[in-house]
Amino acid sequence: MLAYTGKRLVSLVPILIVVAVVVFFVMHLTPGDPAAVMLGTEASQADIAQLRHQLGLDEPVLAQFVDWLGGVARGDLGTSIFMKMPVSQAIAEHVGPTLSLSILAQLVAAVLALPLGILAAKKRGTATDQMVMGVSLLGISLPSFLLGLFLMLVFAVELRWFPVSGYKPLADGFLEHLRYLVLPALALGSMQAALIARMTRASMLEVLNQGYIEIARAKGLREISVVFKHALRNAFIPIVTVVGQSFALLIGGATVTETVFNIPGLGQLIVNAVERRDYEVIQGVVLVIAALYVVLNLIVDLLYGLIDPRIRHKR
Amino acid sequence: MSVVMHNHTASDRAAALNEARLQYRREQRRIAWRSFVRHRLAFAGSIIVFAVLLLAVFAPVIARFDPLAVDVANRLKGPDAMHWFGTDNFGRDTFSRVAYGARISMFVGISVALITGVLGLLIGLLASYFRRLDYALMRICDGLMAFPAILLAIAIVAAMGPKVGNVILALSVVYTPNVARAVRSVGLVVKEQTYVEALGSLGAGHARILFRHIAPNCLTPVIVQGTFIFADAIISEAALSFLGAGIPAPAASWGNILYDGKMYIFNAWWMVVFPGALLMLTVFGLNMAGDGMRDLLDPHTKDK
Amino acid sequence: MTIGGMTDLSGTDGVRGEEASRKELLRIEGLVTRFHTARGTVRAVDGVSFSIGSGEILGVVGESGCGKSVTSRSIMRLYDENKAAGHEGKVLLKGRNLLELSKSEMRNVRGNEIAMIFQDTLSSLNPVYTIGNQIAEAVRRRGGAGKKEARRRAVDLLGAVGIPDPERRFEEYPHQLSGGMRQRVMIAMALACEPSLLIADEPTTALDVTIQSQILQLIGSLQERYGMSIMLITHDLGVVAEVCTRVVVMYLGQIIEDTDVRTLFERPLHPYTHGLLRSMPKADRAREGKLESIPGVVPSLHAVPRGCRFAGRCEYADSKCLEEMPSLTAAGEGHQVRCWHYDRIGREWGNGA
Repeated sequence: MLAYTGKRLVSLVPILIVVAVVVFFVMHLTPGDPAAVMLGTEASQADIAQLRHQLGLDEPVLAQFVDWLGGVARGDLGTSIFMKMPVSQAIAEHVGPTLSLSILAQLVAAVLALPLGILAAKKRGTATDQMVMGVSLLGISLPSFLLGLFLMLVFAVELRWFPVSGYKPLADGFLEHLRYLVLPALALGSMQAALIARMTRASMLEVLNQGYIEIARAKGLREISVVFKHALRNAFIPIVTVVGQSFALLIGGATVTETVFNIPGLGQLIVNAVERRDYEVIQGVVLVIAALYVVLNLIVDLLYGLIDPRIRHKR
Repeated sequence: MSVVMHNHTASDRAAALNEARLQYRREQRRIAWRSFVRHRLAFAGSIIVFAVLLLAVFAPVIARFDPLAVDVANRLKGPDAMHWFGTDNFGRDTFSRVAYGARISMFVGISVALITGVLGLLIGLLASYFRRLDYALMRICDGLMAFPAILLAIAIVAAMGPKVGNVILALSVVYTPNVARAVRSVGLVVKEQTYVEALGSLGAGHARILFRHIAPNCLTPVIVQGTFIFADAIISEAALSFLGAGIPAPAASWGNILYDGKMYIFNAWWMVVFPGALLMLTVFGLNMAGDGMRDLLDPHTKDK
Repeated sequence: MTIGGMTDLSGTDGVRGEEASRKELLRIEGLVTRFHTARGTVRAVDGVSFSIGSGEILGVVGESGCGKSVTSRSIMRLYDENKAAGHEGKVLLKGRNLLELSKSEMRNVRGNEIAMIFQDTLSSLNPVYTIGNQIAEAVRRRGGAGKKEARRRAVDLLGAVGIPDPERRFEEYPHQLSGGMRQRVMIAMALACEPSLLIADEPTTALDVTIQSQILQLIGSLQERYGMSIMLITHDLGVVAEVCTRVVVMYLGQIIEDTDVRTLFERPLHPYTHGLLRSMPKADRAREGKLESIPGVVPSLHAVPRGCRFAGRCEYADSKCLEEMPSLTAAGEGHQVRCWHYDRIGREWGNGA
């Protein structure tokens, strides 16, 4: 397991380098002078020059990159001129709602998808199976912000079961917190659920054909323990992979879903930053989320080792 | 052991052969019918996409209003015979805006699918064929795939400015790694097949092997992935515009219409429901077509 | 591995004498099993009847697709529910018809009366659990054993099937064992049920020749020790010669010959059985280049011939064979055959070959 973990860790290095390079240089694609763009048309030449200097734009690009990378390594993501605070602080203030929303959405997805995927696999070829597959295809076709709008229209505007938008932190009580997050989490989790259900079905179908399933039945085990003890754990690797990889989709969706429901998370932070051309913030948020994704996939890889002894024992 | 043919059984055997032949034909018909049923998904999906494409192409003919024409007297009117999908907060005809929005969505979707198809094919082929390039190219793809598509697109558009061209460029950057990976995995398999190795030893040039022999085998994943990317690009463009990082208002893109719709969700459900339904239908059609095509073109994933 | 030539069979001498006192454990009557396939419904098992005496090792022989595995799955009632299209006949275990049992009653039969081992040992053991866990699970399923007791029993069983250092092996995963070891684990798992009938589906096919005979010896010795009956499914008559007492030969979903092992090798009556015997790899024959195989291919279950199912590949076939299906008829004491011309053909064996 140790060798396996080490190998996984080393494989992250080139990916992180690419991520850093992309984040840094994308922001330098701006045609013209970023300082002038940031300050708008009414700024004086002196102000622009001062901002250029403050941002380090008057240095060679490579030196800027090294500076920036050094800062990132120390946890310094730069300073937002508009918010008048370090980017890392701005991120820290906005990360809570995004995490709450993402975790809840992931939970909704897993709770919906696993049983449906298992059911579809057990009933392969029947009407139940086709319905699950059809609904999941529909789920994949419904982007979270659109589903969010539809849910808002039906359950908040018409039925008034849930608040239309806004956010209450956990400190205001768990139920209140949840009440505001139900619709966004459903909206965000549905596509995830569709993906997981499809993968669960495919993976279970594969596993249910294996000899050890027949042997488990031949041992006289109940179907419940055949499916849940013997089949599901083997089917988990592709499922966990899909959960990990589609987490990027989830976070991306979260930014948009937050805008739909006015949730003050990272999504709103970046959308506001786009409006204000607050490049440092955009850069910081994108970097943090990409790094989060990389770490999450590392965790997924390590989970493989826990699930499957064959991977654990491989050097 | 030799099979002894008795004379009087020859006609029996001929009859049996004939029966077998008939049975074979019946079976072929059954197989054809089954694959048609399977294609139904691809077929239905294609019909939907084609219909939206027609709407987009003939928007100027179909739409009875200028999508940008403000008519303050008729603000936020519900659907009626005049304004099929109602009007928005500026009194603009929602149907016309949705129809013109289809143009933008289709244009962005097709452009991104084509660009990522060509780029992805090229990168995937190079990676599968040249081992040294492979490592570098795949790590770059890994790095790009670490970004949630919409976030990277937001960053690129924010840097370069909100224009249709920049949206297409951003989405192409985001989705190309998917195609490249799919092409590479097929390319590696094809390359291992002996006939390509045999060609190599016979002195055929790299370019010839790559494009005459490997590339045609990699078209399947490009087409299937391309269909899904078409769908994803439409979603992403709408999301970008919805966030204000895509097609700049007042242009009639579905994302912009939905953004306006959200502002007036209490008074004008039609501003959300109609463009939303069309967006969903289009993406659903593309996903159906993609699923069906994958079943059709890739026997591996077929239900056994 | 010693392949049974006629002279190696002295060990089965007593079979005929035992016939009278033979006690039936399992009796199958007119079993039909149908499956849905992409090309329509087929009868994978088509009217099979045979019996297994207690303490008997019955060999079920035939080429792949002849229905021998489906027969065993039908006894266990283990088949893909989405494909099964019904069955007929009776499967009587100690007089109880298994096909009429409820699902939970059937589960008890599986855990307590009948156990099963397969050819593919790697896919037959669950890769994510230790072998000890999987054996202990079977012990506990039988009931009456706590966690500790189950573990102790499992370790004992591992020892009983000849696995060295069973305490340590208990904690290992299937992929850490060799094929032969895995087959021993499979057998230990089957023994955990203390079954009265063990169904072994090609238990040695995937193994090395030397390991094969070890496993066969193990199966033989365990049979004596535990006194269970064994249904051994194989395509290899050499395996049959080594351990079986009776043999059933199947072809395309039907039994075509049913007899004791000695008779099978000394006086086989069905031309298909002749073909199987001739295609056995035997040292002296192979040297002389006389190794033969049966010409032609097994017809598809979708296009079962009208008459005798083997007629298309049979050198003796005449118009009667093509028209009319022969029934399984008694050709001697405890010897049944499905052939119109077994009298003539049986006489030719020994002269011709």
